Amino acid sequence: MLNEPVGVLVIGAGASGAAFAWRIADTGMSVLCLEQGPWMKQQDYPSNGLDWEARGMREFSTSPNVRRLPADYPVNEQDSDISPLMFNAVGGSTILWAAHFPRLTPGDFRVKTEDGVGADWPIDYRTLEPYFALNDRMMGVSGLAGDPAYPYHEPPLQPLPLGRVGNTLASGFERLGWHWWPSDSAVLSQEYEGRAACINVGSCLSGCAQGAKASTDITYWPAAQRKGVQVRTGCRVREITVRADGMADGVLYYDAEGQLQEQKAEIVVLACNGVGTPRLLLNSRSRQHPEGLANSSSLVGKNLMLHPYAVVMGIFEEPLQGRRGPTGCLFWSHEFYRTDRSRGFVRGYSFEAIRSVGPAQTALWGTLHGLVPWGEDHHRAFARLYDHAGMLLCITEDLPDETNTVTLDPELTDAHKIPAPKVTYRLSENSRKMLAHAVERAKEALMAAGAVETVAEPLMREAGWHLMGTARMGRDPRTSVVNEWGQAHDVRNLFIVDGSVFVTDGAVNPTSTIQAFALYVADSIKQKMETLFD
Amino acid sequence: MTETPAALNDLHFMKTLLDLLIPPSASGDLPGAGALGLSAAVATALQADPLLGPPVEAAVQALRETTLSQHPEGLPGMAPQAAVKVVEAQLDPMLIMGILLYLYPAYYQHPRVLEGIGEPPRPPFPEGFDVEATDAELLEKLRARRRA
Repeated sequence: MLNEPVGVLVIGAGASGAAFAWRIADTGMSVLCLEQGPWMKQQDYPSNGLDWEARGMREFSTSPNVRRLPADYPVNEQDSDISPLMFNAVGGSTILWAAHFPRLTPGDFRVKTEDGVGADWPIDYRTLEPYFALNDRMMGVSGLAGDPAYPYHEPPLQPLPLGRVGNTLASGFERLGWHWWPSDSAVLSQEYEGRAACINVGSCLSGCAQGAKASTDITYWPAAQRKGVQVRTGCRVREITVRADGMADGVLYYDAEGQLQEQKAEIVVLACNGVGTPRLLLNSRSRQHPEGLANSSSLVGKNLMLHPYAVVMGIFEEPLQGRRGPTGCLFWSHEFYRTDRSRGFVRGYSFEAIRSVGPAQTALWGTLHGLVPWGEDHHRAFARLYDHAGMLLCITEDLPDETNTVTLDPELTDAHKIPAPKVTYRLSENSRKMLAHAVERAKEALMAAGAVETVAEPLMREAGWHLMGTARMGRDPRTSVVNEWGQAHDVRNLFIVDGSVFVTDGAVNPTSTIQAFALYVADSIKQKMETLFD
Repeated sequence: MTETPAALNDLHFMKTLLDLLIPPSASGDLPGAGALGLSAAVATALQADPLLGPPVEAAVQALRETTLSQHPEGLPGMAPQAAVKVVEAQLDPMLIMGILLYLYPAYYQHPRVLEGIGEPPRPPFPEGFDVEATDAELLEKLRARRRA
């Protein structure tokens, strides 16, 4: 029943909100999720039509500032070197992600101990290990067991085929003797749990019409709904409300008709990503929490980490069929993952070998990088590039820095007049050096694989897929926002389960770790239920 | 008196401009963008873009006026080489990129173009594509390095 008080209120139906809601539903408490976006329909995804690339650049763009859909809120990114990206729907950004599914490595949880920078996490890999495995089963992960870069784990499904482009790129790493391993990928290599296997449509980044790519609307949410969890769409939360004692007591939100509603809850859980979560906390000012909710440390919105990316394209003589197959899931390399101070920077990066893009994006990318002109030479230059490219993404570890922030924009608002987030982010000198090193090594790998030419984009602006660090976890309330199991130090019935809690970010995609953490928080709540608010 | 349409809506002018940006291929396998009738789609998309639309529209309008001052039929009447030169001189590369942002997707989704570049003229879904298996030799090497 609408606005009946609930036991657990989850805000956000993306990667973490879905995992948490499914897991906490076992308690028997009533669980409601408010999501500002809609349910997606696979028949509406761009790959159903010839205009799939055009739609992928517009209403299925990863940037909310490009899409400007009713579910989106604007983000002021003028003072950011990297554009924050996200999608707002049931499934959140997993609708448009590449489903590349690495875990943080054990060393990523103890950066301060290992290298004297950043901070250590209050939990370790071993704590999350059972949740990584559970999450792999829920999402449906394909991969090859035994990667020496990780503790042994067995993905539930066989690895995806590398295809000609993957075989070619991997041969370069072999020649150099560098580490590489087929990616763990949340894309089905075979039928699994009623979902069909991948048929290599190649448009993962604008939604998977086949349903082979895991997005939480087709993985966790159906299972959560079978347990009785409710999802209410088109609902944008304005603020979290508090009782006289400062504890959370629910939210005020705008429903799909634009009416302001009040929802009471015993426990409030934030799963709105590293931009949306600090935005909501900062918008939830009260007499008891004048600087925003859960912000006695003044760290809400600080330490934003975005994983700076570079991309290097290799152009090959032979066709690579690179546009066919799961976009982002060939293999990874941790060859340069750990600190080697002789390189001039601390920490490291990984490579992700990815497939190439469709014809329109090939032409645009080629023109932007001076490879494909307009006019008489267009077709010759296009033919040299299209289907002849293999790419390496360089994903670098971004160390926490309090000057990289999410704050409230003094003027910009969303459609409901709620203050919008402003992202301030500048690349550190350490990251610049790391990117430069990575670009040179990527060129080396591509040439070893047989590329005749390489082209680099040394910093990708449209690459802020990973939004982390803005409500970090820790044991000390003075230096963190939530404790080691996601409970806000200041507000004991408020939990955060998204990437905001990351202390450091490793050099791999974060979703697997975010979801494992969300499952762990749900279990921690279950185990501590009787003393939860003591 | 007939009112002159805005340059973006002047289909004859736009056809010529788009054919200059993507001309037909020498082999004839690929049509020119103008000949494919993409002018209206590109104009509509640009006019709906609040950021790119106004500067591109103003620049295209100025281009048409310049070419009309050089030739009674404007751009469509000019020799191709002269037309290319005037486009290069008049349109800032960023504004050309603004046109290409909408032209490329429209062009490279056309069935004739897809066939011309060796792609099947159909949406990616539901048929999908075949992908080669992982090289068995590479897999063997990995298995030898596996962590137990």
